[in-house]
Amino acid sequence: MPKWAMVIDLDKCTGCGDCMAACKVENNVAIVSPEQAEENRVMFWMDMMTIYEGEYPNIKVTRIPKPCYHCDNPPCIKVCPVHATYINPEGLVGQIYHRCIGCRYCMAACPYTAKVFNWYEPEWADEFKTCMNPDVSLRMKGVVEKCSFCAHRLQHVKEDADAEDRPINDGEYMPACAESCPADAIFFGDLENKESKVYKLSRSPRAFKELEDLGTEPKVIYLSKRE
Amino acid sequence: MNGEEKKFHDKIIYMAQLASISFIWIFVAGIAVWILNLISISVDLNDAPGASIGISIIAIPVFFTLAGILTYVFVGFHKKNNNIKE
Amino acid sequence: MEEKKKTTVDIDEALYRPIYETGKGFYITVGVLLMIILFAAFMYIRQVYYGLGVTGMNQPVTWGFYIVNFVFFIGISHAGTLISAILRLSKAEWRRPITRMAEVITAIVLAIGGLHPIIDLGRPDRVLNIFTAGRLQSPLLWDVTSITAYFTASTVYLYLPMIPDIAKLRDRGGKLRWFYDFLSWGWQGTEHQKKVLNRAINILMVMVIPIAVSVHTVISYIFSMTLQPGWHSTIFGPYFVVGAIFSGIAALLIVMIAFRKFFHLENYLKLIHFRYLSTLLLIMSLLWFYFTFSEYLTGIFGAEPHEMDVILYKMTGPYAIFFWGMVICNFIIPVIVLSFKKFKTIKGILFASITVVIGMWLERLNIVIPSLANPRLELSTGMYFPSLTEWSLFIGALAVFVLGYVLFSKFFPIISIWEIEEGREESIKEVEERVKSYLPGPAGTTE
Repeated sequence: MPKWAMVIDLDKCTGCGDCMAACKVENNVAIVSPEQAEENRVMFWMDMMTIYEGEYPNIKVTRIPKPCYHCDNPPCIKVCPVHATYINPEGLVGQIYHRCIGCRYCMAACPYTAKVFNWYEPEWADEFKTCMNPDVSLRMKGVVEKCSFCAHRLQHVKEDADAEDRPINDGEYMPACAESCPADAIFFGDLENKESKVYKLSRSPRAFKELEDLGTEPKVIYLSKRE
Repeated sequence: MNGEEKKFHDKIIYMAQLASISFIWIFVAGIAVWILNLISISVDLNDAPGASIGISIIAIPVFFTLAGILTYVFVGFHKKNNNIKE
Repeated sequence: MEEKKKTTVDIDEALYRPIYETGKGFYITVGVLLMIILFAAFMYIRQVYYGLGVTGMNQPVTWGFYIVNFVFFIGISHAGTLISAILRLSKAEWRRPITRMAEVITAIVLAIGGLHPIIDLGRPDRVLNIFTAGRLQSPLLWDVTSITAYFTASTVYLYLPMIPDIAKLRDRGGKLRWFYDFLSWGWQGTEHQKKVLNRAINILMVMVIPIAVSVHTVISYIFSMTLQPGWHSTIFGPYFVVGAIFSGIAALLIVMIAFRKFFHLENYLKLIHFRYLSTLLLIMSLLWFYFTFSEYLTGIFGAEPHEMDVILYKMTGPYAIFFWGMVICNFIIPVIVLSFKKFKTIKGILFASITVVIGMWLERLNIVIPSLANPRLELSTGMYFPSLTEWSLFIGALAVFVLGYVLFSKFFPIISIWEIEEGREESIKEVEERVKSYLPGPAGTTE
């Protein structure tokens, strides 16, 4: 059974935000109005943490892309009252939008604040409405959503591999963020496959995970010489 | 209210009281069915069935005791009444 | 002459009067309350229609007033059944005029509090998913179970000791005879019936205490089962229970003072009752401070960075006014007012009780919001401003409480008449004998 994981090389990352845009388009994530954004209701499945250190003019800015960490021991699924969020055998943490009752307990329990909520009925500009991704179901108001590691892409890859009767190649299943990254800073693959690039990078001495001491065992691994 | 009417009135009241007592039992049984359903789901999905069973062991008897107390009081009240009449 | 006439009617006529005499004030109160409730209902329907966006909640502060009020109201509900059960169990004779009022608070407030998580849902239309796809592993379901159990138990516990009084109302005739006839369950006051009732009440009061404790413990578990700084604390269970009893006693005192004034019950609710209860309030205030002190000192001394973010947010950050307001309302004012006999008048006790209720609400606010506003990762700190919808639902909930109480007092005596009678007739002798049994017997005798 594969175990899908992501490696983000912060030394390569330029903080351009292309992953965020690619994610939004790929997953039909709603675009909230500026007033709503003011109220901290922006919806990103792939978010960007921006850390400012020091005083002007000597500011050091760190940008860290932050998807859902797809923990192996996810605090969010423990607390869900209705089985609306789950972890599958391949380690993907999913959300069932049509079952979610919107109690937002998973959001409160997530130490990474990776989840977002549909405060209003999601809206898109007319230009977007014609180019929705048909593979990703639209969400309704009042439910929680989050990064799925583009699980719909895995479906396609699996079908192709099944049709050709071969295992999934390394790098065949790529989420939109990894695919679009211009700096080639995001890697994605199977952690169980010892030959995969992700496995090799995860053993790098530069590798670390966010809040590892909480025991959530995130499957997003950062690489950085700093820190 | 004459005798006939009073008898009828008492009978209606008694039936209503019986209905309310049985409603309590339906309520309690409903909760038990609900909890058992959740246990069967958690066993099916292998989703911490131990925790579910642990909770049910405490919760279900509590509800049944409460319904039992109410029934005990109701039956206890009426038992003596009949004896007096006889 | 006047005095004699009264005794021929009923000594406790004052307790029946509110049920049979309806003044203008009643209709005005009910009307105003209904208006407030209707407005709150309208705001709620609007929220269901547009989505939770009409509230002030956001990311990362995903829980706001609704959860704060949920914890607060459930806390208030501990006034009743728990206090009444403890007083009954410890055979405190001064409990007699108090227990009924306390139990009513529980039943009404519990219903209100229990509704809050549903108000908080983004998809209330799917709430039945809890039945078809629920997970007993989730602390929210623990809550559903324990609140249902507590609500059932406290309603039964309110109802059973009320049966003899309902029978009294039935025997008086007059309005709603069939209603009282139905509810009195054929009570005739025979020895056997009294025995049955007493036995049932005794079983219930033993049962209700662990249920009540479990309810607030489980509510604290909603928070302490997560990994969030400021929430993930083993002390939370007892801390919440202590806070709940604390705010419950304060709410009970306020209700008692209000009814004493409006129903002219000065003869039943005497200064001594308030003094005894307020001593209990003082003890709970000290206990509350002890828990708060332990909770924050361990956080500050350990100085884990994420924990410190939350604590500093409360102590010196945007929530400083609420945090220190909480300390003043919950500890400094009640201790000053209730420690000195000079201040322990009805007015003083009312003042202390009101500050305690406000302080305990602030405590719930201090627990829920700052932990959410300070996520562990290096994101910007969140801020939360409740919207008009949340305020109106809060005020609506308070109005439901007052309305529920007013309506209850219209149909049932607010003070247990038969228990007062029992106190007059039997317990003076009983207490004398009980006290004698505490004392050492004649020299040389052993048991």
